[in-house]
Amino acid sequence: MSQSYNRGLIEDFGRWREFTAGMWAWILHKFTGWVLIGYLFTHIAVLSTALSGANAYTNTLQGLESLLLVRVMEVGLLAVAVFHILNGVRLLFVDLGVGLEAQDKSFYASLVVTAVIVLASIPTFLEGAF
Amino acid sequence: MAERYSSFSSGSLPWFLQRVTAAFLVVVLAFHFFLLHFVNHASEVTFAQTTARMEEWGYLLTMVLFLLTATFHGVNGVYAALLNQGLTGTKKRVVQVVLAVAALALAAQGTYVALVMSGVM
Amino acid sequence: MSTQIQEEADEPTETEAETAPAERQSPGDRRRAEKRTASDQAVGSEPVGRADDDTFRLKVFRYDPEVEGKMEPRFDDFYVPREKGMTVLDALIYARDHYDTTLTFRHSCRQAVCGSDAFFVNGRQRLGCQTQISDLEAPIRVEPLPHQDVVKDLVVDMEHFYDQMHAVEPFFQEDDLPSGDLEEQRQSRENREKIKMSTRCIWCGACMSSCNIAAGDNEYLGPAAINKAYRFAMDDREGDDLKQHRLNIMDQEHGVWRCQTQFSCTNVCPKDIPLTEHIQELKREAVKQNLKFW
Repeated sequence: MSQSYNRGLIEDFGRWREFTAGMWAWILHKFTGWVLIGYLFTHIAVLSTALSGANAYTNTLQGLESLLLVRVMEVGLLAVAVFHILNGVRLLFVDLGVGLEAQDKSFYASLVVTAVIVLASIPTFLEGAF
Repeated sequence: MAERYSSFSSGSLPWFLQRVTAAFLVVVLAFHFFLLHFVNHASEVTFAQTTARMEEWGYLLTMVLFLLTATFHGVNGVYAALLNQGLTGTKKRVVQVVLAVAALALAAQGTYVALVMSGVM
Repeated sequence: MSTQIQEEADEPTETEAETAPAERQSPGDRRRAEKRTASDQAVGSEPVGRADDDTFRLKVFRYDPEVEGKMEPRFDDFYVPREKGMTVLDALIYARDHYDTTLTFRHSCRQAVCGSDAFFVNGRQRLGCQTQISDLEAPIRVEPLPHQDVVKDLVVDMEHFYDQMHAVEPFFQEDDLPSGDLEEQRQSRENREKIKMSTRCIWCGACMSSCNIAAGDNEYLGPAAINKAYRFAMDDREGDDLKQHRLNIMDQEHGVWRCQTQFSCTNVCPKDIPLTEHIQELKREAVKQNLKFW
């Protein structure tokens, strides 16, 4: 079919407005997954300062935590982790064949619960940051 | 016809383990966030506090298991995402090796740090 | 008054510009008019009907690698008279019969059985003959199925889809037939009920086209083929050895494991087959089978 016309990616992410709940759940789950594995590498790297002694560890952590940017990014990390957990539970149920008819509603529910948990946690996360 | 599409390298084990680790991680990740942001505040963490926690065998074991399962879950997830893009041949081999090395390095370094924190090493 | 109506029709259709007053032509209009004349010469004139209260706008994807003016894919607009009970397929047939006989699309039974008229209608895979115009918002945009090569206009190359379907051995096989000459091979009511939905597949390819993974991974069997495998793997009349054989085909990197439960296929299936559910059940069956051998 050398002559046939390939429409490229127009029909994929260019059409995000037409995506359904299950598709959004997949995109967000993949995105949050990438963020979390990326964070895990950074996390271990930062904690590795413990190898250089007690003071290096304490100073590095408290130094980072004193930065407003780090605090705000932690809220972002919380949002990412909570969504990944909740949607992950949703996916476990889907894998068990439970509640497949309500998969779109359970996705919306995980979004709402994520938002509530994150908003409620902001005061704790930003405490003393300003 | 089936052999046209791939060898019978089953994908059931990675899929299954991804789910098993997920069930474990859901609980431990929630616990981890709760402990280090609500019970203790991340901004007040000191080396002394960390070692005090890590000296508890149950906690140390949980954290090491947390690290190992998270590494598997994350790296396997990345690999699955790349397979979705139709990864084949040499590229696939390279990705496998790179991901395996990264995972082993992460797990080894993390475990080492945990043992140092707990005072075992 | 008349110019106003003309302008309305003008913008979307772009074919009546020649009749527009010359003093109102912008350079862009002139360019478009020239382009149009060129394409008109290649494919013949394209009347598009009248835009009024009784018609609706049908935007149809056009492409033909063998005709000069159609090598660049584009959309043609047709104004089709609204009729009660009209389907997207009816509208396409109307446009072809009244406006442009070169408009090409597959269709046969017109009653959602043959599975030949799956199109991408208003951003979703649907059967043309099963989709009521009254359920859609105008303008109605009809495109060939995404993720498949376009042969001409709305006709896509189904070869890859058929390859994947055949790869799962989509036919009944048996280990041992009943001994008696005239003995029937009966299926229990419960078992028939279990595979009922999976037997409804009409090979239209809508699910495969909607699947984001199938788009990226060309070797992925896809929802239709996996559903076909489900239909036979779950059929009790096939013996245990055959079931294991079928699960082995599913239990591959590009078999069931590529499904990421996006539910796109289940959403678009014109026969309402719970595709994701069937794929998930096969995954669990495959894991169970492997656990047994440990």
